[in-house]
Amino acid sequence: MGYYNIQEEKVFNSGHAACPGCSEALAIRYIINTLGPDSIGVVPPSCIAIISGPQPLSSMRMPVYQTTLEASAASATGISRALKAKGNDHTNVVVIAGDGGTYDIGFQSLSSAAERNEDFIYVCLDNEGYMNTGAQKSSSTPYLAYTTSTPSGKPTPKKNLAEIMAAHRIPYVATATTGYPEDLARKVARAKELKGTGLRFILVLTPCLDGWGVADHAGPKTSRLAVETGVFPLYEVEYGERYTLNFGSKGTPVQAYLSQQSRYKHLRPEQIQEIQSQVDANWERLRERFSVP
Amino acid sequence: MPEVIKEVPPIWTTGWTDILNTGTWRSAVPVHKKRPAPCHKACPVEGEIPVWTQLVKAEKYQEAWLALAANNPFPAVTGRVCHHPCEGSCNRGEYDGAVAINALEHYVGDLALQEGWSLPKPEKEREQRVLVIGAGPAGLSCAYRLRLEGYQVTVFEEKPEAGGVLRYGIPQYRLPKAVLAGEIKRLQELGISIETGRRFESYELEQYEQEYDAVFLAIGAGKAKSLPQFPSDKRVLNGLEFLARANQNDTIALGQQVVVVGGGSVAMDVARTARRLGSYVTVLALEDGEHLPAQTDEVTGALEEGIAITGGAMVQEVQSSERGLGLACVKVNLDPEAPPGVLKPVVVPGSEFSLIADQVILAIGQDPETDVWNHLLPVKQTLFQIKPDFSTDRPGVFAGGDDASAERYVSSAIGQGKMAARSIARYLTGGSGSVDEEIVSLEEPVPFKDINTFYFPSQSRDYKGTTAAEQRVRDFSEVKTGFSSDQALAQAERCFSCGSCIECDNCFYFCPDMAVVKDATLEEHYRILDQYCKGCGSCVEECPRGAVVLKEESR
Ligand SMILES: Cc1cc2nc3c(=O)[nH]c(=O)nc-3n(C[C@H](O)[C@H](O)[C@H](O)COP(=O)(O)OP(=O)(O)OC[C@H]3O[C@@H](n4cnc5c(N)ncnc54)[C@H](O)[C@@H]3O)c2cc1C
Ligand SMILES: Cc1ncc(C[n+]2csc(CCOP(=O)(O)OP(=O)(O)O)c2C)c(N)n1
Ligand code: SF4
Ligand code: SF4
Ligand SMILES: [Mg+2]
Repeated sequence: MGYYNIQEEKVFNSGHAACPGCSEALAIRYIINTLGPDSIGVVPPSCIAIISGPQPLSSMRMPVYQTTLEASAASATGISRALKAKGNDHTNVVVIAGDGGTYDIGFQSLSSAAERNEDFIYVCLDNEGYMNTGAQKSSSTPYLAYTTSTPSGKPTPKKNLAEIMAAHRIPYVATATTGYPEDLARKVARAKELKGTGLRFILVLTPCLDGWGVADHAGPKTSRLAVETGVFPLYEVEYGERYTLNFGSKGTPVQAYLSQQSRYKHLRPEQIQEIQSQVDANWERLRERFSVP
Repeated sequence: MPEVIKEVPPIWTTGWTDILNTGTWRSAVPVHKKRPAPCHKACPVEGEIPVWTQLVKAEKYQEAWLALAANNPFPAVTGRVCHHPCEGSCNRGEYDGAVAINALEHYVGDLALQEGWSLPKPEKEREQRVLVIGAGPAGLSCAYRLRLEGYQVTVFEEKPEAGGVLRYGIPQYRLPKAVLAGEIKRLQELGISIETGRRFESYELEQYEQEYDAVFLAIGAGKAKSLPQFPSDKRVLNGLEFLARANQNDTIALGQQVVVVGGGSVAMDVARTARRLGSYVTVLALEDGEHLPAQTDEVTGALEEGIAITGGAMVQEVQSSERGLGLACVKVNLDPEAPPGVLKPVVVPGSEFSLIADQVILAIGQDPETDVWNHLLPVKQTLFQIKPDFSTDRPGVFAGGDDASAERYVSSAIGQGKMAARSIARYLTGGSGSVDEEIVSLEEPVPFKDINTFYFPSQSRDYKGTTAAEQRVRDFSEVKTGFSSDQALAQAERCFSCGSCIECDNCFYFCPDMAVVKDATLEEHYRILDQYCKGCGSCVEECPRGAVVLKEESR
């Protein structure tokens, strides 16, 4: 009588060092337990690195290469090509990186790997800031959100990475989030299935409980509000062309999402209205791309 | 719980994090536990509503009926006439409309009659004998529970047929006789002996106390109240007598104009019955028309059937003449300062009016006939005085239902019969055994805020169908139509199953630490791994139905 049906292989271990209730840990569970043990991970500095450690222990029952913050996609390129050279066509190569390491510091290596259409999976766990180092802003931090480096709210909007990646016309781009674990696992499985076609990119919204100021139990709920308000629609894009919507706005006012999080508690009503207009405009723009079924 | 704690290796080596003990971080631990649903706590028979609605959902209808019948041998009856306080407290009411619990009960109850399902037989026979006096819902419910425990039960009933108010009070258009008969027959098949036409006199008590091990008095409230301003005249009837005759298909010549005095549910039954017998009917009530004590549904039904209801009116004098009874009436307001339960009408000066009636029927309440018992048992304001366990101060003599309570609902009578049986069994086994465990705990029911509505897409509630009023007044056919099987399934689907785990696995899926594991050997189905659970409460939050709670831990 369940709501979800997810097949997991036991790759992710208990005993990891993620905060209680951490969305990144939940996302990692469905990413690597879907990919299975025949995988090689690439992880740059981030909370993910902490969760996968602490050396010499590992929470992931698969080889994991901890690279630099700039170089995840380059490292994955090397591993993927080396496997190919050895005649290995079965091992998955997967980057699991934060938004700082993806939108900002690792962006050039990612964009060029996408342009070359390298054959690996890149998953960005987007918690909208440099959380591991104390919640500084990244280019993923949303408009007006508080971070320790934007104390009165970030003055610029969030970079639209999913669209940027789609514009590279890679085989697969998807957005996902932890409040929809089956959808996330399905997208990872789809990316795995597309091995051999090139770069597959999944952007996973993972609310940071401490950085966003939500309760330890509220990760999935916050994530669902992001979807239902239209702040973070869940969709897939094949080769930059074929768009499919999985879960979109239900017309829930953004206020419902913002008011759950203390990073927005300084907002004035007119600022909330402004965010609402931006969300509405983004959602309208995105909607035009979905192919009529 | 004893988990195997893996040791950190003494030498520098590689390994997995599952040797770490992140459980030490937490200050609270989740606990899977069955919690009472609000409907369950509100139900006078302590019905396990979330349990049987889930079985309906799974299309396990016979099991659903058995779960229903475990607490109530009359689901087809209560599915029609219960005042259903369960729905008033249903958590879904705060979302998109209460679950149609009563209509579902009606559906399952009727299905059982259609399919001829029988009640489970007692597991063992006992020699002790219990005498139940009165075959109304209280008496029969008590008899049922005791019989299930293997006691030998005899019921004495003065009327020619069993059922009490269900047989002789409630009209057929609300409760068809065949439905009642079917549910009573099932009780007889269980081995309960019902001796009808057997009035029990108070002077027989001592003798029967010798012959039986315990006695349960459930004689109901069969004596209609009267009003001094009405003469004794064949044109003045009391409501109970009138309904009893109508329920036996007696021919009753009422005349054209009938005035019913009273504003409660009995008055509505009387008025609607008189209407079906062809009269024009006016109801006079002390309460104003908006605040009648009768159930809204019944008032609406009466109005639709062309019955005139005059609220805030009192009959002051009655003149009898050849032409009929002349009623001198006046408008009144009820004194809001009067103590609760007391009606204190204040006359509105100059508001006199008069009515002519061919027949007056009084429906202003009824009392138990306890005066003949008061030398044997304590009686206060016509009610038997009982202790919370339904015992009287005579050892082995118990009482319940309308004769001992002012609640006056069918389901309350059934519930009281059930609870009295529990006490009788305890008495008969010398204080040890009980008919069943106390299910309704003192624990607070699951509040709406514990329901995760994401998992329950909005779905509107459905209602039973109603025959058109013009059709209704022609005969005594049943007014309400029960659910179809599709309707029943769709409506059962709406139950949140508050506080009762349905093994949806959400708690398992949302744990970032993989600290919730399934364990089929446990009653609660899941185990929390002490070594890893960090106490975040995600499982608590993601349980759609509040079946997991966080318990604080101190170290
Ligand atoms: C007209 C009417 C309509 C009602 N409608 C509803 C309704 O829709 N919903 C609802 O919830 N409640 C309703 N009620 C209230 C409800 O019916 C009663 O609260 C309920 O029936 C009480 O059950 P009981 O077993 O205590 O008494 P009863 O149903 O009155 O049964 C008592 C039985 O004891 C028998 N008896 C009495 N004295 C003796 C004796 N000395 N020897 C042997 N037998 C004896 C009587 O003949 C009767 O059969 C209604 C009541 C009336 C009067
Ligand atoms: C080039 C470089 N600059 C800065 C750092 C310090 N650093 C380590 S982790 C981190 C934050 C990364 O943020 P993000 O990628 O969003 O991951 P999160 O911690 O939020 O999971 C930073 C800035 C570094 N390791 N390398
Ligand atoms: S939703 Fe179901 S379990 Fe919860 S109160 Fe309503 S009927 Fe009872
Ligand atoms: S989440 Fe589902 S499986 Fe877990 S306790 Fe609640 S109902 Fe049961
Ligand atoms: Mg980040």
